[in-house]
Amino acid sequence: MIDTLEILFSQQFLIRALVVGVLISLCCALLGVSLVLKRFSMIGDGLSHVGFGAMAIAAAAGVAPLYFALPIVIIAAFLLLRMSENGKIKGDAAIALISTGALAVGVMVTSMTTGMNVDIYNYMFGSILTMSDSDVVISSVLSVVVIALFGIFYNEIFAVTFDESFAKATGTKTSVYNMLISALTAVTIVIGMKMMGALLISSLIIFPTVTSMRLCKSFKSVVLTGSCVSVICFLGGLLISIKYEAPTGASVVCVNIFFLAVFSLLKAVYAMNKSVLFKRFIAAIICTVSFAAFFAVMLTGESSVYKKEKTTVVATTFAQYDFARQIAGDRSEVIMLLAPGEESHTFEPTPEDIMRIQQCDVFVYGGGESDKWADNILKTVPESVNIIKMLGVVELYKTDHEHEGDGHSHGETEYDEHVWTSPVNAVKIVKAISEAIIEADRDNAEFYKENTANFTAELYELDSEFQKLLSENGGKSIIVGDRFPFRYFAERYSLSYYAAFPGCSAQAEVNPKTIADLIEKAKAENITTVFKVDLSKGSVAKTIAEAAGAKVETLYSCHVIADEDYKNGEGYISLMRHNLNVLSECFK
Amino acid sequence: MSLISAKSVYLRYENTSVVEDLSFSVEAGDYLCIVGENGSGKSTLVKSILGLKETASGHLHMGDGLTCKQIGYLPQQQAAQRDFPASVWEVVLSGCLAGKNGNIFYTKKQKALAKENMEKLDILHLKNKCYRELSGGQQQRALLARALCATGKMILLDEPVTGLDPVVTAELYALIKKINRQFGITVIMVSHDLYAATNNATHILHLKKSGSFFGTTEEYLESDVYKSFSGGDVL
Repeated sequence: MIDTLEILFSQQFLIRALVVGVLISLCCALLGVSLVLKRFSMIGDGLSHVGFGAMAIAAAAGVAPLYFALPIVIIAAFLLLRMSENGKIKGDAAIALISTGALAVGVMVTSMTTGMNVDIYNYMFGSILTMSDSDVVISSVLSVVVIALFGIFYNEIFAVTFDESFAKATGTKTSVYNMLISALTAVTIVIGMKMMGALLISSLIIFPTVTSMRLCKSFKSVVLTGSCVSVICFLGGLLISIKYEAPTGASVVCVNIFFLAVFSLLKAVYAMNKSVLFKRFIAAIICTVSFAAFFAVMLTGESSVYKKEKTTVVATTFAQYDFARQIAGDRSEVIMLLAPGEESHTFEPTPEDIMRIQQCDVFVYGGGESDKWADNILKTVPESVNIIKMLGVVELYKTDHEHEGDGHSHGETEYDEHVWTSPVNAVKIVKAISEAIIEADRDNAEFYKENTANFTAELYELDSEFQKLLSENGGKSIIVGDRFPFRYFAERYSLSYYAAFPGCSAQAEVNPKTIADLIEKAKAENITTVFKVDLSKGSVAKTIAEAAGAKVETLYSCHVIADEDYKNGEGYISLMRHNLNVLSECFK
Repeated sequence: MSLISAKSVYLRYENTSVVEDLSFSVEAGDYLCIVGENGSGKSTLVKSILGLKETASGHLHMGDGLTCKQIGYLPQQQAAQRDFPASVWEVVLSGCLAGKNGNIFYTKKQKALAKENMEKLDILHLKNKCYRELSGGQQQRALLARALCATGKMILLDEPVTGLDPVVTAELYALIKKINRQFGITVIMVSHDLYAATNNATHILHLKKSGSFFGTTEEYLESDVYKSFSGGDVL
């Protein structure tokens, strides 16, 4: 536990997370009391969905999400309250309407624009570790305001929560305080979303109150116990997430569940028909056991303090990881942050990942949509880290939208980030990584140079084989029933293609018209193979292939690697050679 | 001067006229029972007295320094309150809210008042008990103490005995009578219980869409309205 705490206080990003997290936990616990007791728990949940919709629109419009979402969610909060009060539409139905409606709008907007991007995923699942400075400041200030207002109007909030009709009759402006409560809730949800994610934030509001209500007998004690429980759960969750490399938001909720269980057990004990002494004895045992369990979780097991030993290269995804390990051999350590099989767009760095980045010598990342999370971390890394951004090494193409069946266009510029799919680009990236490693570890310079030369030669050979194949088959096109991360590859060899999704957006739904168009093309051009991309389920490709009487083959993008391929020792060269084979098969 | 006087008041509920041409008055020290069938406009009248609803026409005139905020109100119980974690002390003290005048905390004087009212209603020993763990009768006493904190003049009770057993009901009626006679607080009570109403109240207001009855209990017992309503000997 000591070493976990040491990590906690030695890292600036963790201290920031700690401060913001404690403040937000407090806000949630305070407002939770009112919402739960007024039977408005689901309003919190509804508002988080509205928040998600607003974030999606903000991301699409290029406005700062926080400033845009805040007023929208506050308005939604007033609306929800109005609807529940008027009783024109029943409260729960009103919440369901607004929350699912907002979710649908959010999904529509994202699909019309760039597809799910990282920002949106962050708001869906939260990422307290990658908050920017301004996020931290805004969240802290707003939390302090919420806590202060709650303190000032504590007695009024009690009266309005306990008995609105009495408060109203004795001249308390209940609608003002109701509006205050909903505005504060809205603010808390918007700032809490960044930390917990839209999906989990309402649990932070509901859990502490329900937990403390098991045992507490007065409003004041519910408020105080709820606040303590909330903060303790947050700290416990944060420590667990550091120790076990688990996502913070989910860890916090799990600790909350644990506390609720313990409190419920204690309540059951006190309700027993036994002597007071006996009940106290049992309660003491429960407390001891549960806290022992809680601390055991913190104390035991391998601590994940990361200390680097030799020259270290940290790569985010597979292609650059493979390049680095080809150069480094066994003389320096190469770390891949995304575990094999992990989805790049939903990746969230753990505290240990961030420490690895801060201590490494060379950090290689794409710099595109899917590793935007790195931007905030990179602001805090020491100058000793040599940062290589692959998008900065090669000539860029914009994300391709023209080949997509429905062909809509957008104003926003977005670069395709899968630059390594062209072996020529790979050569450039390898050169940059090699130079950086040599600079960090001059003693082994000769070794690295030799490895680089050998690997580069292999890349050039691969390039010439692709060139030969595709120049022999010029004019033929391929159909990819999937997203298309091969823009650079296609440009290099003038390959013409039709893809179901543009770029790499991990959109869940495909436009039916696009599928129909692709089936028509496959039939018209007598195409025998429909491609899918590695790690995709390939359901769209299968649909097209079945309709057109073709078979499905896989093209490897080398972005992230499947667990099985990783274990089999596959690399960039071997996977690209697989692509070469299936393409030549297809053109026969 | 009357505490409340109404002359030719018309009341509406969602665009339907419920009470027409209503006149009555409440003097200091009166115990007025409002009776009438469901939907006869009792709740609407209560809201109008409390100043939460405008009358359709006519005016409810408050006199003798009474404002509608100074009426100690005991609303009907709500389901949400049954499991509300609040101590009796917190509930009673919240009756002082209107007199807090923008202060953040309650003053010593307000706390003393709350204590005094709890003593009067014999619930001081329950001070730190949880409201939801009280019996129905104790809960109503706590709410009565809260109502007294909000007023020195008049309390308005909306069907206070709903859900209570006969013994507790009788106790509560006795208590309300004591508040009226001993503490000199004017009482207005909405009730379904015609027997209790005629036994306790000094005045009865029987609401009807038109031709409402208002008068002393003795007059009421002789009236046609009473006779047809009680199902007793009709003319």
